[in-house]
Amino acid sequence: MKRSMLAGAVALASLSLTACAGGSSGAEPDGQIDYWLWDANQQPAYQQCADAFHEANPDLTVKITQRGWDDYWSALTTAFSSGTGPDVFTDHVSKYPELVANGQLLPLDEHVADVDLDQYSPGLADLWVAQDGKRYGLPKDWDTVAIFYNQQMVEDAGLTAEDMEQLDWNPDDGGSYEAAIARLTVDANGVRGDEPGFDKDDVAVYGLGIPGAGYENGQTEWSMYTATTGWTHTDTNPWGTHYNYDDPRFQETIAWWYSLVEKGYMPPLETTVGASVNDNFGAGKAALNISGDWMLSTYFGYEGVDVGLAPTPTGPNGQRASMFNGLADSVWAGTDDPEAAAQWVEFLGSTDCQDLVGAAGVVFPAITSSAEIATEAFAAKGIDVTPFTTHVEEGTTFLFPVTDHASDVHAIMTPAMDEVLGGKADVSSLTEANDQVNALFE
Amino acid sequence: MRLTWGRVLAWAVLWFFVLATVLPFYWMLRTALSDNHALAAQSFSLLPADLTLGPFERVFGLATPEEALAEGGSGASLDFWLYLRNSLVVATAVTVGQVLFSSMAAYAFARLRWPGRDAWFAVFLGALLVPPIFTSLPNFLTVKSLGLLNTLPGIMLPSLFMTPFAIFFMRQFFLGIPREIDEAAMIDGAKPWRIFFRIVLPISAAPVTTLGILTFVTTWNDYFWPLLVGQTEQSKVLTVALGVFRSQTPQGAPDWAGLMAASLVAALPVMVLYAVFGRRVINSIGFSGIK
Amino acid sequence: MSTAAVARRPRSQLGPALVMIAPAALGFLVFYLYPTLRGAYLSLTEYNVLGSPVFVGLRNYVDMVQDDVFWNAVRVTLLYVVLNIGFQTVLAVGLAVLMHRLTKSVLIRGSLLLPYLIANVVVALLWYWMLDYSIGIVNAVIDAVGLPQVAFFGDETWTVATIAGVNTWRHLGYTALLVFAGLQMIPASVYEAAAVDGAGEWRTFWRITLPLLRPVLVLVLVITVTGAFQVFDTVAVTTGGGPGNASRVLQLYIYEQAFARGHFGYASAMSVVLFLILAGAAFAQMRLLRAGESDLT
Repeated sequence: MKRSMLAGAVALASLSLTACAGGSSGAEPDGQIDYWLWDANQQPAYQQCADAFHEANPDLTVKITQRGWDDYWSALTTAFSSGTGPDVFTDHVSKYPELVANGQLLPLDEHVADVDLDQYSPGLADLWVAQDGKRYGLPKDWDTVAIFYNQQMVEDAGLTAEDMEQLDWNPDDGGSYEAAIARLTVDANGVRGDEPGFDKDDVAVYGLGIPGAGYENGQTEWSMYTATTGWTHTDTNPWGTHYNYDDPRFQETIAWWYSLVEKGYMPPLETTVGASVNDNFGAGKAALNISGDWMLSTYFGYEGVDVGLAPTPTGPNGQRASMFNGLADSVWAGTDDPEAAAQWVEFLGSTDCQDLVGAAGVVFPAITSSAEIATEAFAAKGIDVTPFTTHVEEGTTFLFPVTDHASDVHAIMTPAMDEVLGGKADVSSLTEANDQVNALFE
Repeated sequence: MRLTWGRVLAWAVLWFFVLATVLPFYWMLRTALSDNHALAAQSFSLLPADLTLGPFERVFGLATPEEALAEGGSGASLDFWLYLRNSLVVATAVTVGQVLFSSMAAYAFARLRWPGRDAWFAVFLGALLVPPIFTSLPNFLTVKSLGLLNTLPGIMLPSLFMTPFAIFFMRQFFLGIPREIDEAAMIDGAKPWRIFFRIVLPISAAPVTTLGILTFVTTWNDYFWPLLVGQTEQSKVLTVALGVFRSQTPQGAPDWAGLMAASLVAALPVMVLYAVFGRRVINSIGFSGIK
Repeated sequence: MSTAAVARRPRSQLGPALVMIAPAALGFLVFYLYPTLRGAYLSLTEYNVLGSPVFVGLRNYVDMVQDDVFWNAVRVTLLYVVLNIGFQTVLAVGLAVLMHRLTKSVLIRGSLLLPYLIANVVVALLWYWMLDYSIGIVNAVIDAVGLPQVAFFGDETWTVATIAGVNTWRHLGYTALLVFAGLQMIPASVYEAAAVDGAGEWRTFWRITLPLLRPVLVLVLVITVTGAFQVFDTVAVTTGGGPGNASRVLQLYIYEQAFARGHFGYASAMSVVLFLILAGAAFAQMRLLRAGESDLT
């Protein structure tokens, strides 16, 4: 009995084995390069690059897999530890230091020695040199943030496009920026936020949308304000070892930002769980949002909403500011064919591919000349992207903070910022969170 | 029976629960037939927002990435038939293996006499308390060293032989079978395994069906474990494939329409089974023999 | 139960027994016992999944005692279990009694079972969508009625209750059918006798139905409580633990530490504690179960 039982089990197992023959990616070079990215909006453009690459290298084929951001990093970690990771993948500055520390990334120096790093927008290439002095990625694109506004609502509020471009901000009274937000806020009775009788508990249209509390970086939430006060996330960047969430300039700015919730100009944080800030904008429930250029196609895709763009407001230092984040393509250390993988990375980082990506008009490629193509492609769609590019031209960008322990910092700061924006804790509580963060670096 | 106010109220409450159970399914369908971009503006419309089959086309990969993006989806699609086959293979094998092996063990625990029996049963039952997340990584490493990562057997193995619940469930039933039935056979000189297969198993059709259905549904709906060990196209099951449609932050809003269409499609096979075997499934849920 | 030893068969049936439990024992040893022991060992190490484990003694346990987020997770998990089991059990008993007294309709029972056939992840997504603050249908209805909208997942006071409610929705029909099956085992004569005595529905329920149902209820509780402590999918798909730490249940915190933050050793130590909590809860329930058995027979 035992024997036939086991035989049955084996038969079952082998049945399903044959059903999935060829399941795992082989360790032998097979001419196929697995490439992962997370932004669905960019997949068509990169498919064009893959086709062009295959045309130039007929023995190599690129297979693109897209996974949403929420799944991307956990899927990647599992794939790495199981030995089935992609050969090449889109990498983020907040993630790669830990991958380097765990030996998961292939240094690219010898493979891309002849690539001209000056062709990329200034600063981008440097982000991808780790503390060991080796290069782990070639820049693929960059992003900045700007104001997206509902043209109809701005007009109804008696504001003009010029007004929107010349907003100024300070942490004390919010400047003309807050005045505009107040004006754009309308309660259920049609009373505006700056008019007497405004009911802040029954708001129909909020002046400013809120994406969330901003985690540790505040890219589209608060970093465009804090940076104009002279505050920086860390002591140095990249590779800072001390965070500054205890700085009064930071805490005053967050206090001001939260005051918009109390005044009824910005939705309470609790409403952001679920609905995306852009969908609320698309549904006419917010007049103004701050977001990144990667969201352009989403915002301009909403039916019945005329979207306008304006640069972020000028701050106490008299300048605007935008976080400057750059993605890159990295090679997994476990790739079966480092040469081919590096070749694909080099292609992705060349004008051959970045011109194609630029022409698709979805993001700004890292290569300066390709970014100009993107600007034209956006213009052809009727979108003037100057509010995004102005930061690069005028040098008002600052880099995404790159440090070790990024996932622990994220895990500590996420609830801490939630508490403050949810009105459950005072901004001074961020000092304690900052101590926890800095303890990681001791 | 007479119609009293109490009964009217009781019926009203019952129907309230039936509606609360069924209406979300309508909402799923309504969302799945909507244009994702139009959902935000028409949140209160009971009909699909800008009726379209687009979400289903996206799920089955019939839409080009450009078309998908225009309707607020992603360029990703489901290779539905492949994942369906994977899900079927995994769920069927696990159901057959688990029910059979667990029943055998349960019989040994319930009816055979051997030293240490009750102690071993307690140890087996203790496994019910081990959080799956605790064992998932060591199991992942085990499956990896067996060379079964990203294969269907790798997904099946941990639940193929037993679950503590299955053994507990079947043992409870076997304990309730009158002693006379198997003792008569034993006096005739029949071996235990023969009694089990010829006598005990046939009269246990009801609990076996119940357990089988529960196991099938549980395996079909399992997400976390297959996500860990079945990442490749060839080893993906339907629930894992649904992950493709999960939210896209910070790239933007979730493709609710596509997500609901994919969820419906993933649930469809179970729904069809349910439509066919519905009555039997419902009647089989119970304590047949559990005292 | 028939555990009373019968002296008629003196011979041990060890041989056949071993054959019959062999496959299950293999599965148990390889996929339950071994990983549990390995996990217990890993709880004494620092291990980030990609590297190799480094022995650190009891440090993870010391860290855990001082970790506010951990204690918060224990509180949140307990709150969830109480709410979920509370809603689910009360409603399931109510529904089962209603069905038992009113109808044998397979259609009604069939409809109630539908949510149980859908994956947790899908159920979570569906409700996440329907309960959305701005564009979900539920809030649209609430707004139309003139009540203030509710941030079901976003508001700290609602979030755990919402998650408990969503899981109640999925499991209610199944639990109700289990209780319904239990009700059918109560002899009709008992009810007839009660009717003859002139007892009303309400009185019959408290005096007859509930006491006779107790063993079945305890069995249902053993299964559902153990499951409720391990809530994960629903939280992971919806709030991700937020706002703040308001819905960061233990299993989610364990998952984050292990897979997102690379502290697998620490996650294992917390799993050991979760195991001990579950064992304690199960022990208490088993005693209840044993107490209940004498009631029925």
